[in-house]
Amino acid sequence: MTVWPAIWLTLKLAFVTTAILLAVALPLAWWLTTTRSKLRPVVEAITTLPLVLPPTVLGFYLLILMSPTAPFGALWLRVTGDTLTFSFTGLVIASLVYSLPFAVQPLQTAFASVPQPTMDAARTLGATPRDAFLTVALPLARRGFLTAGVLTFAHTVGEFGVVLMVGGNIPGRTRVISIEIFTAVETLDYATAHVLSLGLLAFSFCVLLLVYVFNRRGGVRVA
Amino acid sequence: MPDRLHFRLKLRRGPLFTLEAQESLPMQGVTAIVGPSGSGKTSLLRALAGLDMGVAGERRITFCNKEWDGPGGHVPAHERRIGFVFQDPHLFPHLSVAGNIGYGAKRCEVTSFDAIVEALELGPLLDRGIDGLSGGEARRVALARALASNPAVLFLDEPMTGLDSQRKSEFLPYIARAVSQARVPALYVSHSSDEVVTLADRVLELGQGHVTGWRTPPMRLTAHVVAETGPGVEVRLDGAEDDGPGASIALPLRALPGEAVGIGLPVESVHFSVHHPGAGSAIMVLPVTVTRPAGAEGQAVLDVLGQSVRVPGVMRVPSARTLWMSVLRVLPRPMVVDSTK
Repeated sequence: MTVWPAIWLTLKLAFVTTAILLAVALPLAWWLTTTRSKLRPVVEAITTLPLVLPPTVLGFYLLILMSPTAPFGALWLRVTGDTLTFSFTGLVIASLVYSLPFAVQPLQTAFASVPQPTMDAARTLGATPRDAFLTVALPLARRGFLTAGVLTFAHTVGEFGVVLMVGGNIPGRTRVISIEIFTAVETLDYATAHVLSLGLLAFSFCVLLLVYVFNRRGGVRVA
Repeated sequence: MPDRLHFRLKLRRGPLFTLEAQESLPMQGVTAIVGPSGSGKTSLLRALAGLDMGVAGERRITFCNKEWDGPGGHVPAHERRIGFVFQDPHLFPHLSVAGNIGYGAKRCEVTSFDAIVEALELGPLLDRGIDGLSGGEARRVALARALASNPAVLFLDEPMTGLDSQRKSEFLPYIARAVSQARVPALYVSHSSDEVVTLADRVLELGQGHVTGWRTPPMRLTAHVVAETGPGVEVRLDGAEDDGPGASIALPLRALPGEAVGIGLPVESVHFSVHHPGAGSAIMVLPVTVTRPAGAEGQAVLDVLGQSVRVPGVMRVPSARTLWMSVLRVLPRPMVVDSTK
């Protein structure tokens, strides 16, 4: 079957995106939970934008930003010798932006549910803020961490518009599953479309089931 | 001259409440902080602990000649070495009992982990998770956790909130023992007179965010343990004669013969009369000499079997030279470390 390159590319993109995004979202979510800065609502709104913007709009701006004639794209080209648009790296950057809210929001919710007095207790017991974060907040927010990881992964697997805008449709390079399906339907190859669509449907269902089952069990345990 | 905790605070907490308080507290024994709810007791403790630094206002805090807050800078909460016991235990749910107690112990140089576990009888619970702990057990763990961090001062913020009276009377001796054994000064926020009588060496009153003054310390007599009686001990008031009044009082307390014990007299359980009131329901009726009558100089001072007792202003003392004091109920104070003098 010719669908394997698309599946492999999709999984690779989802793994890389999830790994980077969790590392980025962790400090961001903690900052959003604890800060008293006036900038908080602004940052919160920006973080959530990818959730409401049409992927084409997001993709359009990312395409403009990454194009070799734009400062960022030009700088990238000069440093790495490769263009961002229509490349795997470009896809990763686009996915990072697109899936950002799916990583930040579960973490933020989890951090917000860590009781302040429990953190205060850690502080009075001699833990620096960093120490208290690592030894109390993080372990207590572990469910949010898993939810964030799973949702980010699943969301990245399912993205279409942004990828099409930024990466185009280059087999083996930027053609992910959702675009493979689109291409298959356009060429009236319904068999391939069926296999891939059913696969994605089953995958998405299993992922959500996993999240809900896990959260439910956790909820009972906490109560 | 004991070390002191000086503070001058002016903190706006919300549009309706400002904590504006200034006082100097001796860092010896137990200082109770009392006042109606909303008077700023908890806010005061939290401010002194260096928590709530987001609240705008002025802070001047000096602890034992070390500036905690002031023009010279700010000592963060984790460097103040305060053993803080909160209203709710707020244990770490992801750690075992031992993990909770060890959290602070791991972060300080010296700890008496084992002695604390023993004093609070937590040995059998060490390997347990905190999910299955009863209310009283969870509070003992919270107290042990605070003590094991080798604190320079203990802050207890109504540590018995939410316990029923049975559990309270079980937990109170643990606090008393821990405080006297650890030899750490303590600030104890409370609105229960029993707790104050049992624990406090002095009582600071707060009202509407201000210090309203020092209250007369709770009436207390000293005694020594005569014998162990199984469930408790039998004590004799210091100065009592053989078979005389106060020669034999049963206390629900664990102590060894010969040990000194404090006996707190709750205000509402003490009555004065000119004539002997008869035994009635009193557990003891003691002869009393008035050494200073209540008046312009302040509260009355009594001589009870040679012990000097200041009477709180709220009590009515008949104007006579000699009186009878009947006591309906006493509260034990284990191993009293008399540090007020």
